[in-house]
Amino acid sequence: MTRPLEKYLAAGRATKSGRGLPQSMTLARWQCVLNFAKRLGLRQPSAALVVAFACLALNVTAGTNDFFAQGIEAARDGNFSDAAAAFQNSVKAQPSSGALVNLGIVEWRRGHAGAAVLAWEQARWLDPFDPWAMQNLKFARTAAQLDEPELRWFEVASTWLPPNLWVWLAGASLWLAVGALILPPVFRWKKSGSLQTLAALGFGIFLFTVTANLGVVSRTEIGFVLKKNVSLRLTPTSEGEVISTLTDGEPARKLRTRGNYFFIRTANGTGWIEQTQFGLINPD
Amino acid sequence: MLLLAPLLLHAQTPPTVLPGSLMQLQITQPAVDVASPVTATATFDPPVTQVGAKTFYRVTVDATESSIEWPEKIPAPLFLLPGAKTQGQVMQTVNGQVRPLTAFLYEVTPTTTGRFTIPEFKVRAYGQNVTIPAADLEVNSENAAPVTPPRQLVLEVSETNVFLGEPFRVRVMLPSSPANEIEALRETQLNGDGFITDKTATRQSVQTINYNGQLKPMFIFETTVTPIATGPLTISAQAFTAGREFSGQISITGQVVLPGGAARYVFLVSDPVAIKVRPLPSAGELPGFTGAIGKFIMDPPLLATNRLRVGEPVQLKVGFHGEGNLARFVPPEPPRDQRWQIIANRPQFTGYTLIPLTDEVQTTPAIPFSAFDPETGKYVDLTIPALPVTVTGEGLPVEITAFDEAKTNTPLKLSDLTMTTGKTATRLKPLQLQGWFIGVQLVPLIGFIALWQWDRRRRFLAAHPEIVRRRKAKRDLRREKIKLQQAVAAGEAAAFTQHAVNAMQIAVAPHFPAHPQALVCGDVLSLLKESERNRETVRKIFAAADSQFAITQPTQAHLLSLHSEVEAVLQQLEARL
Repeated sequence: MTRPLEKYLAAGRATKSGRGLPQSMTLARWQCVLNFAKRLGLRQPSAALVVAFACLALNVTAGTNDFFAQGIEAARDGNFSDAAAAFQNSVKAQPSSGALVNLGIVEWRRGHAGAAVLAWEQARWLDPFDPWAMQNLKFARTAAQLDEPELRWFEVASTWLPPNLWVWLAGASLWLAVGALILPPVFRWKKSGSLQTLAALGFGIFLFTVTANLGVVSRTEIGFVLKKNVSLRLTPTSEGEVISTLTDGEPARKLRTRGNYFFIRTANGTGWIEQTQFGLINPD
Repeated sequence: MLLLAPLLLHAQTPPTVLPGSLMQLQITQPAVDVASPVTATATFDPPVTQVGAKTFYRVTVDATESSIEWPEKIPAPLFLLPGAKTQGQVMQTVNGQVRPLTAFLYEVTPTTTGRFTIPEFKVRAYGQNVTIPAADLEVNSENAAPVTPPRQLVLEVSETNVFLGEPFRVRVMLPSSPANEIEALRETQLNGDGFITDKTATRQSVQTINYNGQLKPMFIFETTVTPIATGPLTISAQAFTAGREFSGQISITGQVVLPGGAARYVFLVSDPVAIKVRPLPSAGELPGFTGAIGKFIMDPPLLATNRLRVGEPVQLKVGFHGEGNLARFVPPEPPRDQRWQIIANRPQFTGYTLIPLTDEVQTTPAIPFSAFDPETGKYVDLTIPALPVTVTGEGLPVEITAFDEAKTNTPLKLSDLTMTTGKTATRLKPLQLQGWFIGVQLVPLIGFIALWQWDRRRRFLAAHPEIVRRRKAKRDLRREKIKLQQAVAAGEAAAFTQHAVNAMQIAVAPHFPAHPQALVCGDVLSLLKESERNRETVRKIFAAADSQFAITQPTQAHLLSLHSEVEAVLQQLEARL
């Protein structure tokens, strides 16, 4: 079964090798998977299964890379609208800090400060240590005179590591502590101080990570105004009295939802804003 | 003590206020006396004069000006030729009460000598008749001894030839009395048409100035007047003397003698002064002229910041100074510009609020303004110049120069495109909010629970070994029964016998407990007391098994026929496990 696949790869290489980097990268990856399966000594059905699974996984990243490369190419040509669309597709296929940083840059070039700030905040959400996202956010907030979102102490703690790492750390530390307490009597291990220290350490880390995880969940309600001169209304209707006017890129915290409106808290007070005019860090 | 302190505290009770007290607190001024009988005086000032010299016929009535019905013509001799009437009112304090005093003044220039009398006549005040007493005037010939001229105000203007709207200073002066005493002026008023007086620009002082060739202390009331009509205008002043009742701020220069006793309110007037007012020239008028006349200098305009965002207001400070009426200064009207919204700061002009409406602008709008210089007779351009700005918003900047050179020399700028995808995730939604992750976290929990249950079961079985033995016996019995079936099927009698014995030993072993191989026929029989047939089958099987150790081995083929009986025995034994 590998032979038809090899033939397909060879055909693809022959016909599409000149069409640019993304397709070549995909073919190269597929070839690598095939070689790896062969090196493992897998026979034809097993190798085909490995390749099938690998293809399924790689198809996602290959698609992401396609969009990512298209976005870079369009941005270099100065076609920022197409570049933004390509980076958005890349993020939709698989969110990555690089695509989000680039999306922010092209949105900024298009004059969409709100969308740019949101993209860079999302990049920093994925990778709190991304230097480009941090540099661009600092630049944008200085240039557009925007405030940073006000974080509570446990939200500040949650920014020290990527959000998903916090939850894995919490799970690992909890079960490590539980295991250190439960396993010795089950397996009749000799009681030792090191196991108890391990349990205490595990529980300590778990308690700390609980606050950080709380911060992660809390930060998902933070968002940014996407458009200029957006009205903050007293009621969730288009005829609602305008309390204040918000500028693009201004941070706010979502409190609740009704219909097509978010009830948000900003530095200027609380009110209702249309959902299309407000982008959350966590759009899911 | 601290616990008892609250018991000693009492709520404050407000002071009792009698009805009407609040009203009295609000009324600080003494009551106006309108109930006392109205009195009047009439005199000539001076009472002795010369032919052709000026004298004043002065009538005072202690009633309000509006309540007095003064006749159009007074009963004066024709040859006295009373001139224009001037009148004024002042409030005087008499015995702790305020009492109005109204004065009427006629300028009289007698033409013949003699003694003349203006007879008494009646006027109505507060609806009642008031008698104005008779007044006598003695007129001497021109060659007679000189008489004291009447006391008058002196009116002095800074300009007599002005442009329309050009403010000029007016000084109303009261020379000191012959005893060199200075008196204040009250209710000073300028009479005449075609000008307005700026009451916010008044000033009072006492100075010694040269008057008619001699230095004389004078009370000076100074104000600014702006002509609002063109042509020849006449201006005159009137006021009451008020003794030492100075009101408002006053600056005194030099030695001054103040009169003692109560103030005497004497109504005085000045001679009129002619002013020529010219219209502003229309030729050479510059844009932005709002009527500012004088010599103005504009300070350099100051912008709060030169880096703006679209829609963000910024303050443009503009200051003017110079000679002219700055109090009534009208700032230039902001021009209409589609790219800027311009709002003049009110009420006091300090500059403009500018709001950029697009990022295409690079300078603030120039605001045209001009003023008329009366000295040169020309308009002067005072346009507020355009200032360079950087407006962001529509097209956002990609670099900002460092503000604080001390902090950093590197400018803030947008990064280049990154070539790597960096860290990836399947979704932006954190794992904390994904249901499957909670499921994953349940796996270790289930594992630990299973481990605990296993340990619990293990401990239970360790405490009850018979259960383990029975379970093992059942398992081994099942295996032996299979082999037994196979031996029957193969027709191997010896194997059948051996497996049957093994099976029986296994089935009874947990009851003793003992190793199955250590058990004999009797052990099996001890558990089969109910059925003799089964006991017989057991004996036959065990006997056949034992016969293998005999010298001559009997045929065992017939034993295969005992298969069903052996099955029944095993079934019975298995039931007891």
